Amino acid sequence: MATATFHQSIVSFASPSSTISQCGFKIDSSLSFTSKKINFCKIKAMASVSYNNTLLSPSKTIPDNSLKKSNEAALILIRHGESLWNEKNLFTGCVDVPLTEKGVEEAIEAGKRISNIPVDVIFTSSLIRAQMTAMLAMIQHRRKKVPIILHDESEQAKTWSQVFSDETKNQSIPVIPAWQLNERMYGELQGLNKQETAERYGKQQVHEWRRSYDIPPPKGESLEMCAERAVAYFQDNIEPKLAAGKNVMIAAHGNSLRSIIMYLDKLTCQEVISLELSTGIPLLYIFKEGKFMKRGSPVGPTEAGVYAYTKRLAQYRQKLEEDSEVICS
Amino acid sequence: MATTTMSHQAIGSIVSHRPFKASQFLKEPLNVPMKSKRFKIEATASQISVVDNTFLSPSKNRPQESKKNSNEAALILIRHGESLWNEKNLFTGCVDVPLTQKGVGEAIEAGKKISNIPVDLIFTSSLIRAQMTAMLAMTQHRRKKVPIILHNESVKAKTWSHVFSEETRKQSIPVIAAWQLNERMYGELQGLNKKETAERYGTQQVHEWRRSYEIPPPKGESLEMCAERAVAYFEDNIKPELASGNNVMIAAHGNSLRSIIMYLDDLTSQEVTTLDLSTGVPLLYIFKEGKFMKRGSPVGPTEAGVYAYTKRLAQYREKLDAASQATLD
Repeated sequence: MATATFHQSIVSFASPSSTISQCGFKIDSSLSFTSKKINFCKIKAMASVSYNNTLLSPSKTIPDNSLKKSNEAALILIRHGESLWNEKNLFTGCVDVPLTEKGVEEAIEAGKRISNIPVDVIFTSSLIRAQMTAMLAMIQHRRKKVPIILHDESEQAKTWSQVFSDETKNQSIPVIPAWQLNERMYGELQGLNKQETAERYGKQQVHEWRRSYDIPPPKGESLEMCAERAVAYFQDNIEPKLAAGKNVMIAAHGNSLRSIIMYLDKLTCQEVISLELSTGIPLLYIFKEGKFMKRGSPVGPTEAGVYAYTKRLAQYRQKLEEDSEVICS
Repeated sequence: MATTTMSHQAIGSIVSHRPFKASQFLKEPLNVPMKSKRFKIEATASQISVVDNTFLSPSKNRPQESKKNSNEAALILIRHGESLWNEKNLFTGCVDVPLTQKGVGEAIEAGKKISNIPVDLIFTSSLIRAQMTAMLAMTQHRRKKVPIILHNESVKAKTWSHVFSEETRKQSIPVIAAWQLNERMYGELQGLNKKETAERYGTQQVHEWRRSYEIPPPKGESLEMCAERAVAYFEDNIKPELASGNNVMIAAHGNSLRSIIMYLDDLTSQEVTTLDLSTGVPLLYIFKEGKFMKRGSPVGPTEAGVYAYTKRLAQYREKLDAASQATLD
């Protein structure tokens, strides 16, 4: 099985402070593993990964360095950048608005930062701004596997998009769009600008909808409702992939991603409300032994503020927002 | 209510049996459908005129210059640029493969060329490379209306993507994704490279599938079949919009676009098989009085070779194909 020597392992050393950016992404180093006795093969060239079953149980200690690697999987989260309604300061929610030029650049920048992190499967929302972000980011990817968006909206769509070469399939990264990863649905606020909403509902009410956890705008979702369907989707569809050793990228939105982070980091409702995700700066988690370990931004793992505001900063920002022009996504 | 009818983009609708009309997006959602009295107001195009419905019938004489203009509509056709499988020389067909960096550049360039041509409606295929091409092109558009992709795949998708501000709707360009505008479905050749197909089927057979009008590859479409569904869609959904005076952009693929051009230009099946569309160079037609007038590329209307090979060039190219490593569809 020559292919086993070409898999791209995520090398995680015993030292807890090591990060992906430090150990890098060494294809060649995998060649040294063939000389060791390994009980299993992790073949990432194809969609399937096979290895010893006992390693899947999280409680098992893994003595050998090489074995530990196969039970790890990378999880990359990317929040899309500026959309045309962000620019116009309109409530967007689930209206399918595309990226601005700036948003396109942010996606490309994000792609450069993750260009060395293996990606086996991509999940996006059903909205073009997240899908474009994923596709633009992957243009920068070093490994040159080709993302292919899966279609199952109908029998015809499925049949028509079929690939008839195994070799080509091996060189593909499935992309799965899911409405459950969509932005929080903003109901009757969708398409309104700040002035219109203040006139229609009153400033205080709008502020409450934006900042509360469980109060939805009219005909819309609360953050709680958004979190419910996003996290359920993550648990049912994404986590099993990670558990199987697949490296996953999720390109989605502010609210659906912070919902997932709430689950990954076990945040409280209060903490998730004040969690702000940067656009264009991907987040990296390592899934290992059933746990999620934050690795920060691949660029600067020690940049504490890179992806989340501290509580104090969140409060300061809240104060700014009351006067500023920024509207949430 | 009178004021709102003046200010929305009313589409004087010719009798149609379509359940959903894209331009209805711009009206109030719960409104009564259009009555027989029709107004067409092109507030956003370079010409502003109000006409009554007698001008909508194509055969009617138009005595005044200003009224003639209102019965014209621009039709822009854009073929997407390089995809990741073009680069790898694989048969793509309906596999949903995204653009390369070059393809992204081509889309932006195309956008610059049409930045001054009014666009009221956008039709794309259901494949990301065409959708991205449209969205990237529109980031260059001068008029700054915002494209919004309409979702009709389910009641929920429709509800969730609803826009609650009329003013915002007026500043929107509906984008309709249609599988009927997809690339020709290449059946069992999808995902194969040139070598694999030659081995599996023989060079001559493959050449025949690619160049004939009515012979489909196994489990795939012939150009004729592709043309059938593409042109039917154009006649049912796009032509009426043009007839109503809406300026339309179509972002699609080599085969679906040449099928439509076959219809617009009354080409024979022989002529259409030799028709080659440049990528990144938009084509412009003016629809007027029921006829389509070719305006060539917006850049150089006299560039005869810009978008179509002459017969002699086509024969020459065929000769080259047999020897070269030319890109597959």
